[in-house]
Amino acid sequence: MRQLPVLALLLWGTVAGLDLASVLQGLLSRPLVCGSVAGVIIGDPAAGLSIGAALELFALDVLPVGATRYPDYGAATVAAVALGAGQPWGAALGPAVLLGLILAQIGGWSIVAQRRVTAWALRHAAPALDRGDPGVAVRLHLLGLATDLVRSVGLAALGLAAVAVASRGPRFDMSTGHALTVVTVAGGFVALISGALRRAGTVRRIGWLAGGMALGVLGLAAL
Amino acid sequence: MMPRLRALLRLVSLQASYTYERMQGIGIAVAEEPLLEPLAATPERARAARGRSAQYFNAHPFLAGAAVGALAKAERDGEPGERILRLRTALSGPLGALGDQLFWAGIVPAVMGVALIAVAAGFGLGPVAGAVIGYNALRVLVTWWGLRIGLAHGLKVAHAISESRLPSLAARAGSIGAVIVGAAVPWVAAWLLRGTGQSLRATVLVVAGAFLLGALTLRRPLSAPALTLGAALLTLLWRWSAA
Repeated sequence: MRQLPVLALLLWGTVAGLDLASVLQGLLSRPLVCGSVAGVIIGDPAAGLSIGAALELFALDVLPVGATRYPDYGAATVAAVALGAGQPWGAALGPAVLLGLILAQIGGWSIVAQRRVTAWALRHAAPALDRGDPGVAVRLHLLGLATDLVRSVGLAALGLAAVAVASRGPRFDMSTGHALTVVTVAGGFVALISGALRRAGTVRRIGWLAGGMALGVLGLAAL
Repeated sequence: MMPRLRALLRLVSLQASYTYERMQGIGIAVAEEPLLEPLAATPERARAARGRSAQYFNAHPFLAGAAVGALAKAERDGEPGERILRLRTALSGPLGALGDQLFWAGIVPAVMGVALIAVAAGFGLGPVAGAVIGYNALRVLVTWWGLRIGLAHGLKVAHAISESRLPSLAARAGSIGAVIVGAAVPWVAAWLLRGTGQSLRATVLVVAGAFLLGALTLRRPLSAPALTLGAALLTLLWRWSAA
């Protein structure tokens, strides 16, 4: 297995985990952004961009509205890039994205668990909070931040451990790798297009989406 | 540091203490705290205001500043407690719907769509960095604007927002996002599938199949990650049996 800059990847995975909901929400947890930076850290920006783009197709289906439960693609993308970097990407993309999808689901469950911990602390502090005792809200807030930090570090570490295990296992042959790449990219487009159709809601917006696709095809043909 | 600036910084981590019971309630209390400092001279009022500030609240995180500003002004103006709680409830839904429409359904897909097209066209990391910088500048600007408009208008903040350009921008953002996401589809498909050796055929099949499946499952959405993992498992079984 290649020597990975584990500490830098762990740190970046943690930053991405915090960005998802707790701090900023400034696109750092988006797979395309997260994958690009992970690719630069590992020294294979092209792999970071392609794996990040493939996972971004799935992330564009997510609408984090209200109490919706959603996957965490940040640390999952870091692990996916760590697995796929330095390999022929037509074959490596599929397996890397599959690892990312599994880790993203685990990440989604970890968010629910972390929020339950905050809710448990809230139930204990509720009388003091409702009385308006000074400092209670800030303490609860810092606890939420700390538990999300622990969650993010844990998820990033789990991802890198999964990469270490997967890298020692048997490799797929080239044609299986290609088949998995087609399957995962197709899955990504199902996510992207069905999400866009659902979000569009109206016939008029579906028309905009179809118009955009036609424009994209024309642009591609022009090159 | 200025209370307003401290409130802005705290709004950046609004959802750190998110729970399914009070949602963003505690985060709102934390962000509102610096703005309630003028009440320190009357401890009973300050205590009552703090108690109210941590109740249930849920809106779009980038527009929650408008609620924080408006609630703090209402507290400072000495409005009755029930009125302030009613304002809190009244702002929650509209600020959520407006922000979701503007950011989650419009700006985020548009920004990521542009970045995807640029990356697929071979522009490398630059567009990704540009997307992050531009989006964050907009995010901070909108939060700051919300805080200002809330502090300026207090109980009348909903009217002030409805008079602003935000509702019309939100209505258009979804269509713009749809066009850009649509345009990204062929670009990204051709780019990602070029390494498989059958770029054109795979691109046409993948995009047409995804569109058909998406349209057929519009009413009962599929879990795309679960579908992908299932299809990958079947692919592995097929490859294993053919070996």
